[in-house]
Amino acid sequence: MNPEGRAVRVLPTLDSSASHNFLKPVKKIHESQDVAPFLTSKGYTDIMTFALQLNRSMFPEKLADGTSQPWPLNTDEVQFSAPVRQLQELLSKLEDLIQEVPPDSGPRRFGNISFRKWHEVLEERASSLLKECLPAEILERPSSDADGVTAEAELKAYFLGSWGSGQRLDYGTGHELSFLAFLGSIWKLNGFPKSSPGVEERAIVLGVIEPYLELVRLLIKTYTLEPAGSHGVWGLDDHAFLPYIFGSAQLSPAINETDLTPEEDSLPDAPDPAGVVKKNIVERERKTNMYFSAIGFIYDVKKGPFWEHSPMLYDISGIRAGWGKINKGMIKMWNAEVLSKYPVVQHFPFGSLFSWDRDPYAVASPATVHATSGPQGRPVIPDAGPPTSATARPSADSGTKAPWATAGAGSRVPPMGPTAAPWAATRRDGPPTAGPSTTALPDTSRLPPGPMAPTRAPWANSQPPAPHGGDGPTKAPWAK
Amino acid sequence: MSDLDRAIEQLRACRLIPESQVRELCYKARELLIEEGNVVSVDAPVTICGDIHGQFHDLMELFRVGGDVPDTNYLFMGDFVDRGFYSLESFLLLLCLKVRYPDRMTLIRGNHESRQITTVYGFYDECIRKYGSANVWRYCCEVFDYLALGAIVLGASSELEPTTASANDTTQSTMPIDDTELETEVLNSRGEVTMSTYRARQRSSSDASTDSRNISPPRDISAAPGQLSAPTRSGAPGTGAGGDSNGSAPGSRTGAVLCVHGGLSPLIDSVDKIRLIDRKQEVPHEGAMCDLLWSDPDEIEGWGLSPRGAGFLFGGDIVKQFNHFNGLSLVARAHQLVMEGYKEMFDGGIVTVWSAPNYCYRCGNVAAILELGEDTSSGGTVARSNGEYGRSNGVMGADSLSTVVSPGRRYRVFEAAAQDTRGMPAKKPVADYFLVSETYPLTIANSS
Repeated sequence: MNPEGRAVRVLPTLDSSASHNFLKPVKKIHESQDVAPFLTSKGYTDIMTFALQLNRSMFPEKLADGTSQPWPLNTDEVQFSAPVRQLQELLSKLEDLIQEVPPDSGPRRFGNISFRKWHEVLEERASSLLKECLPAEILERPSSDADGVTAEAELKAYFLGSWGSGQRLDYGTGHELSFLAFLGSIWKLNGFPKSSPGVEERAIVLGVIEPYLELVRLLIKTYTLEPAGSHGVWGLDDHAFLPYIFGSAQLSPAINETDLTPEEDSLPDAPDPAGVVKKNIVERERKTNMYFSAIGFIYDVKKGPFWEHSPMLYDISGIRAGWGKINKGMIKMWNAEVLSKYPVVQHFPFGSLFSWDRDPYAVASPATVHATSGPQGRPVIPDAGPPTSATARPSADSGTKAPWATAGAGSRVPPMGPTAAPWAATRRDGPPTAGPSTTALPDTSRLPPGPMAPTRAPWANSQPPAPHGGDGPTKAPWAK
Repeated sequence: MSDLDRAIEQLRACRLIPESQVRELCYKARELLIEEGNVVSVDAPVTICGDIHGQFHDLMELFRVGGDVPDTNYLFMGDFVDRGFYSLESFLLLLCLKVRYPDRMTLIRGNHESRQITTVYGFYDECIRKYGSANVWRYCCEVFDYLALGAIVLGASSELEPTTASANDTTQSTMPIDDTELETEVLNSRGEVTMSTYRARQRSSSDASTDSRNISPPRDISAAPGQLSAPTRSGAPGTGAGGDSNGSAPGSRTGAVLCVHGGLSPLIDSVDKIRLIDRKQEVPHEGAMCDLLWSDPDEIEGWGLSPRGAGFLFGGDIVKQFNHFNGLSLVARAHQLVMEGYKEMFDGGIVTVWSAPNYCYRCGNVAAILELGEDTSSGGTVARSNGEYGRSNGVMGADSLSTVVSPGRRYRVFEAAAQDTRGMPAKKPVADYFLVSETYPLTIANSS
């Protein structure tokens, strides 16, 4: 049990008087094998802790008179603190930025090229935007070492990683993760006021995260950002994950401070999960619930039968054990499909606030525990995992299964049989960023991009970007 | 009715066939495909199709618009699977049709016909979900390894037979004038002509082949009538078309059409070099085979690095040299979503064909297929410019350039199939995240 006697651990904050050294966040996950150490790092623990802490706060509250207090969107029962309102200001400035950089009206393939400009302006203004939003004692808190960086270096890294890829014109769960880390960084720096358990957390979810998601949806629609969901229809959602976690919590059974987080059942008057296939129910519920808000966006952008374009969500809508069950499943799935996926987390950078250091309390290879939990009695081939569904694959195997970084690893690739590709055995070692064609992402426009990807192509580390004309392009041996 | 015909019937109804039958089908398909070269020769008439990505109902719409098999010959340029809901139904149907009508169906490999890519982009997940194990996925991947890397279409006519039906209010057409031939025609899914272009007949082929090239649909067809004017007499600048051949019969001047999924490779300067690849393997991360399946044309000069992380970008100069050197009039490729279903680039030297309408249920694009007609002018004899042209004519001879005319191109554009025809299935058991009771990761909450 944690020291505060609460059912959920709370992300620890920095002692403002203690010495601390900030670090410019850097990439640590270079190949698929690095996902395992990530899952036992302090940074991972902190991300999960913060997510669970926010999740917990969204469960309705048991009141003394036996009734429940739910936390719908736009509720008057949640007061927004000054820092939350400042962050709302920040989000509305980014929204205004869309007016400054209207979408290009010229011919295009899909993603609108003007998003690149939007992103550039964002980068130019990031420092001043943060300055307007965060107090100096947080943003400019210095390292103890005289020559160390300030907290801004860490905040800015996660902030800039939250807005899709200007290069690939897409957005995915990696960017969403980066925004969570941005908020977690502010939390750790004591940027949010201390309150009763859950009070400030609710304000963060309803007052910052939902508006963030709304802004992201606006960006996606305005600039037709490509779906970054790598599994096509077989993924949960093209872009988002967090609203499904927090939204299912909103509809779960009410709790008091010491109750364990429910793992099944629903708030008595919660909508049936099956309502996601009924457009009128979605239209009604999306105004108050984050889960339905996310579903509503799917209806906004997709044409076709819901069960066909969103089979995962369709099947989940058949769960009879209630929103508590869905909530728990969503967290497990987020852990396996976002945090444990090399293509998603590979660009997540680590500094002092989200640290690459090993967490001494970490359960040894937690993902392995999950990996062994597949349904019984079915032939589970080494690479396949539980056969129930795509995303049901265990996180240890599939989570670290980078599109091809694993190829070098050998053990986790699908069975190649006699027709193995030449590189399967002979591929040179080294981080997946080593070169353009041996390493980077397969179809980068579709992969869940890393949170820090915005301005660099996967191969940008070692190669200049492909120039248009000039001396850059690789010449074919036989050209000219 | 044979088992195969029954399987075709069942798959056409969007119902899967048993695993044992898939296994047998894949075995037969491999036996057939192993006999094909890396570059399959295909005679016109043929209908060229781009990415399908498991959009089964749209594939049915494609057959409705383009004609049924075996009445129409088809050439599919890969990416049958991934992303969509019906990759299995789509690929297995195409494979059945291939086995049933081997000479009327050509399937070449896309970058998604790969073990690695299908584990990331959905097909693997779909197989697990629909068959409960990875067996079918494995059978399919073994077939992928045997798919050809490209195809050469021979004997296409330079001139189209005009379609009579036209969509009156949206037709965009240059008036057929004397001494012209119909070069391109765009039809909607009702078979009505929405655009057509003509070029001079029997003129200097350098002019003829450049006059009305780069046929791409206007953004708003009805708002831009007459955008494409009648052929002018001057060749487009920068085409290098300077020959003055008198031309022979229109059909026989038509160069061959190379079909690949992605595009060109800096390692491949002749079609023959494709034939030298040992293709029966998983798609490598680099090299010629990889490039053919991954590269994209772009408005650059020379070669550029691809943002995809595999393959390359290549410019118009590369396409021109390649076509010239190989006696090709056109490269047809897929691989990139184009909102209008097809897009010609580089003075018509390359075309992207995309056959998945409203891609991923949300892109709002239309799809297209490309029909190449048969050249009947030379008594059915196929012009043998089959990729050995350049070699046999010496390297880069100006004459060879000027004698190649692009084929007449009929694009049939279609939209996503109506969605109300599909019933709602029973919900399947959900992923184990939502079923198995276990302590992780919630226990992390109390771990310290």
